[in-house]
Amino acid sequence: MIMAKAKPMDEIINEIKGFRKVLIAGCNGCVTVCEAGGMKEVELLASALRMFFMREGQEMEIGETSLTRQCDPEYNRELQESIRNYDAVVSLACGAGVQFLAEMYDNVPILPGVDTCFIGVTEEPGVWTERCQACGQCLLASTGGICPIARCSKRMANGPCGGSANGKCEVNKEIACGWQLIYDRLKQLGQLDRFEQPVDIKNWSTSRDGGPRKIIKEVSRQ
Amino acid sequence: MEMRKGNSVGSVMVVGGGIAGIQAALDLANSGFYVYMVEKTSGIGGVMAQLDKTFPTNDCSMCILSPKLVELGRHLNIRLMTLSELEALEGEAGDFTATVRERPRYVDMEKCIACGMCAEKCPRKVDNEFNQGLDRRKAAYVKYPQTVPLKYAIDEENCIYFEKGKCRACEKFCPAEAVDFSQKETTHKIQVGSVILAPGSRTYDPKAYDYGYGLYPDVVTSIEFERVLSATGPSEGHLVRPSDHQPPRKIAWLQCVGSRDLQRNSHGYCSGVCCMYAVKEAIVAKEHSAEPLDTAIFFMDLRSYGKDFEKYYNRARDEHGVRFIRSRIHTVSPSIENGGLLIGYTRENGEPAEEQFDMVVLSTGMEVPPETAALARKLGVALNHYNFAATNAFAPVSTSRPGVYTCGLFQGPKDIPFSVAEASAAACAAAIDLAEARGTCVQVKELPAELDLSEEEPRIGVFVCNCGINIGSVVNVREVTEYAAGLPNVVVTHENLFTCSQDTQEKIKQVIQEYRLNRVVVAACSPRTHEPLFQETMRSCGLNKYLFEMANIRDQDAWVHQKEPERATEKAKDLVRMAVARASLLKPVVERPLEIRQKGLVIGGGVAGLNAALNLAKQGFEAVVIEKEEELGGLALRIPHTIEGLDVRDYLHRLIAEVRGNGNIEVLTGAELSGFKGYKGNFTSEVRTRDNQVHIIEHGVTIVASGAVEYRPKEFLYGGHPGVMTQLDLGAFIHDRASEAAGWNRAVFIQCVGSRNDENPNCSRICCQGAVKHAIALKDLNPDMDVIVLYRDMRMYGLLEDYYSTARSRGVLFSRYSRLQPPEVAGNGAGLYVTFTDHVLDRPVRVSADAVILAAATIAADTERLATQLKIPRNTDGFFIEAHAKLRPVDFSSEGIYLCGTAHGPKLITESISQAMAAASRAGSFLASRDQTIGGVVARVDQSLCAACLVCVRNCPYGVPFINDDGVSEINEALCQGCGICASECPAKAIQLAHYADDQIMIKVDALLKGVV
Repeated sequence: MIMAKAKPMDEIINEIKGFRKVLIAGCNGCVTVCEAGGMKEVELLASALRMFFMREGQEMEIGETSLTRQCDPEYNRELQESIRNYDAVVSLACGAGVQFLAEMYDNVPILPGVDTCFIGVTEEPGVWTERCQACGQCLLASTGGICPIARCSKRMANGPCGGSANGKCEVNKEIACGWQLIYDRLKQLGQLDRFEQPVDIKNWSTSRDGGPRKIIKEVSRQ
Repeated sequence: MEMRKGNSVGSVMVVGGGIAGIQAALDLANSGFYVYMVEKTSGIGGVMAQLDKTFPTNDCSMCILSPKLVELGRHLNIRLMTLSELEALEGEAGDFTATVRERPRYVDMEKCIACGMCAEKCPRKVDNEFNQGLDRRKAAYVKYPQTVPLKYAIDEENCIYFEKGKCRACEKFCPAEAVDFSQKETTHKIQVGSVILAPGSRTYDPKAYDYGYGLYPDVVTSIEFERVLSATGPSEGHLVRPSDHQPPRKIAWLQCVGSRDLQRNSHGYCSGVCCMYAVKEAIVAKEHSAEPLDTAIFFMDLRSYGKDFEKYYNRARDEHGVRFIRSRIHTVSPSIENGGLLIGYTRENGEPAEEQFDMVVLSTGMEVPPETAALARKLGVALNHYNFAATNAFAPVSTSRPGVYTCGLFQGPKDIPFSVAEASAAACAAAIDLAEARGTCVQVKELPAELDLSEEEPRIGVFVCNCGINIGSVVNVREVTEYAAGLPNVVVTHENLFTCSQDTQEKIKQVIQEYRLNRVVVAACSPRTHEPLFQETMRSCGLNKYLFEMANIRDQDAWVHQKEPERATEKAKDLVRMAVARASLLKPVVERPLEIRQKGLVIGGGVAGLNAALNLAKQGFEAVVIEKEEELGGLALRIPHTIEGLDVRDYLHRLIAEVRGNGNIEVLTGAELSGFKGYKGNFTSEVRTRDNQVHIIEHGVTIVASGAVEYRPKEFLYGGHPGVMTQLDLGAFIHDRASEAAGWNRAVFIQCVGSRNDENPNCSRICCQGAVKHAIALKDLNPDMDVIVLYRDMRMYGLLEDYYSTARSRGVLFSRYSRLQPPEVAGNGAGLYVTFTDHVLDRPVRVSADAVILAAATIAADTERLATQLKIPRNTDGFFIEAHAKLRPVDFSSEGIYLCGTAHGPKLITESISQAMAAASRAGSFLASRDQTIGGVVARVDQSLCAACLVCVRNCPYGVPFINDDGVSEINEALCQGCGICASECPAKAIQLAHYADDQIMIKVDALLKGVV
């Protein structure tokens, strides 16, 4: 799931202070689950903004809605009528949602209300951590199910580096060394021979290095 | 007892309308029996109505009692007979004919509207008994403003018309023509199946003591002091001394007045409650006092033996600065200067001391009034040597006459929760006798169908309460009422003296019908205590009970802004405006009837669990008892006899045989609860026995009787020397090796081992009597044996005090030690040495001993798993927490689950039996009820919005939401407790709590801020 966190209030206020009518649009997908951009956050943000602008004496009308997903055009189309009433939209969806909404409504500024962070998991209620960098070519089969791209600070394909100490990463003592985790896991699985032979250099063209990516599934095309 | 099967009468007479009688009546009436409540005075409520606050929660006594009074007054199956006395009882258990004499009220209850005009016009003033004579009432009067029935009465003894043949001012001025001097005494013959005697006690008259009571006005009894503290008391809650109405700066409490004293026409027993009420009164007095108030309690032993009482005592001393002085006072004399009172006493080291106080409160004990004793004799009910009803420790609510039961203070001195539990126990005993006649005498209420109001605009009625003076003395209620009339959707407003009174309910009904109201707002006290009452009133008019809203202008306004009446009035308007705004958005909420599985699961096969099961079975319900050990009996297996000398093992054998022989009971030993799900009325338990068999039990109620354990001392060489043993060890030792014990030269008991310390601040309640019981037993074995009891306070509450006296007269030595100087025990080969500091000698004393007996604490059993399975709360010490410390002592707050025995806290076998019967009564009452509902205030998921994020699943404290087969959250309405956490946490706003929907909350905020922002 895509993880996001709320932008600082000041930043959102700066984004919208020139407008008079703003719609806050949440997304019922990933950002709802990571408690950053669901309907509840929409209501909280709208309420906080109303209070701010009321205190400032600035007239500001704030609308609230949340779409099933902002990454599908059918759902975004639901705003077709109402969006005309607004000068701008603050989308609490991930970056994909913000852009996709903007692509559909090119006359209205669509502004981000959250910072999209990573693909990750709910480690415990209120704690989300990264697990995947969407590199386009999954290595997990040979790394004991632990991703060296997402979990190693240096994205090393053949780790660990010399900065691993007591299971922690030299970047930050709070970060577990990804390669230590891989080593422990492979040991548990009896697959330590993986370390006998280095893997080939990773082909990064499936990742960001190859430019914006696209997937086509022919059978699904209409 | 032989019962004539099939011929018993399905009604019960309860004599006495105090809290015990009320509880017994309600339990029975809610279980399918018709109840006649016979109350001697003009209204029910008893002594509890006179109390200001109650320990250890400092709840307002009247506030928690009042809803019960009203429930009783409104109950379809309770006939309340006031000014009435039971005169005679003929017949036998199951079919009695009771003769009840009813004195005339001289007021027609049908006509009286309780306007108070008769009292206003009545020229005769007399002492007001309810305020203990501290102020005056008229000869036309109501007992107290919240009493039930709230109908005036004319006091024949003091009425001028009855004295002189003329006056009748009341009759002339009564606007309702309710005064009726033609009323005559009537005698009723009533057929009932059982009788419960709950006539209560009276306060000991302390005139015989040299305390100047009656001579110096500032010497008052504790009950008088309760009235002084009470908002409805003579000084309206202002703490002033009677002599000059000035606030006192120093108050002393003198304990054991009329108790623990064989002289001065006093009583040998301990009244059991005075230590705690004195501590409470000292704390409350400090809170009432604008200036710093010094409080001192003069006592012999501080008996804070109840659940959480010791912590209350500690807080009083350490946080509130209440002084505790261990000395019995012989004289109170007037001070020559400034009218104070002098108390001479002896310090612990023997030095004389003297101190002056502004007020002295006598902690007077309780006694059975002679008229109660006379009644008992008339009914053929045996009394003990103190005139309490004679009962057996194993049958604590049965009197000597079959079919006649007792509870409350007539049974023996006790506090409110034990009275309430005992009342339920007595109800249980009565219900068992009449099990076959259940439902034969009751009436069923036909509620009007709910009106469909969906198309109607809101029509709101607002009722604003004075709450006597609670609200009216601060808030301008008239102004608030007028203000409410101008609010949107409001069609009618009313101002009431007591909106909760029974006749106001009638008035509200009339107004609802006359004005076709579809929403009601009451601006009064707390919905916590009073909402159900008003909702019932609405329901009887065909309105859904959720179309109701309360504004708390008492607790949240009048009480906290006493010094700013004008601003309080403005705030009351704000609160009313908010309530009216919300009312306009309220919607009917549907509740559905619930089918109840007619079976109970009892967890624990000790004395409490076995009694609970047996009493449930005898009421006609099935029961399953599960016991984790192979043998039934629990902790009592290790107790040979009670302090009264009753054989516990014999009792247990009989009890177990009766349980095993009862066709309604299934017993599973070596069994543990391995799964528990469902909800009130509809539980499914999985029980695993040692042979790995799994039993699935479907049941409607659950009774927790999982017991407690004896602390295994780490102190005093326990485990390291064979001569050091616990009381349970000693019990077994005396039983098995009596001749060896008889050979001991000296035995030393050490009290409070593992109790009343930092680790376990509680008093274990039972170990003082344990020590005395065993000390007497040792003296019986060998009268020459030296027996020494080293104690901190001897807590021989109630009638146990007799045994303390016996032990002393038998030569048992009692020596008090301070917590800071505990005794020391050293081994000496086969023998032992005990060193302790005697407080009189003030020096260490070393004695040899053959045995050292430790009063090891009673501590909670390991019930963590059980608590998690059943989702029931425990306190920091591991004992389960009842729903309300005073008035719901055997209920859990989750419905359908009940509590008894030592799982609740340390207690004696007789107390456990009483509680077990009470739990069986409460459970039986639930099983027998036909009006249980589910739904109502529960959370509902809009599944189209649900993101299946699991936030509700993770946050629900009751574990109710789950992701269903459709991949969305589902909340079972029968399990949902309506706390609203999921609704507030749901990030998709897919969950709303019925009756607390966002718009219904937000409109209140908007109404509050209207005009401000």
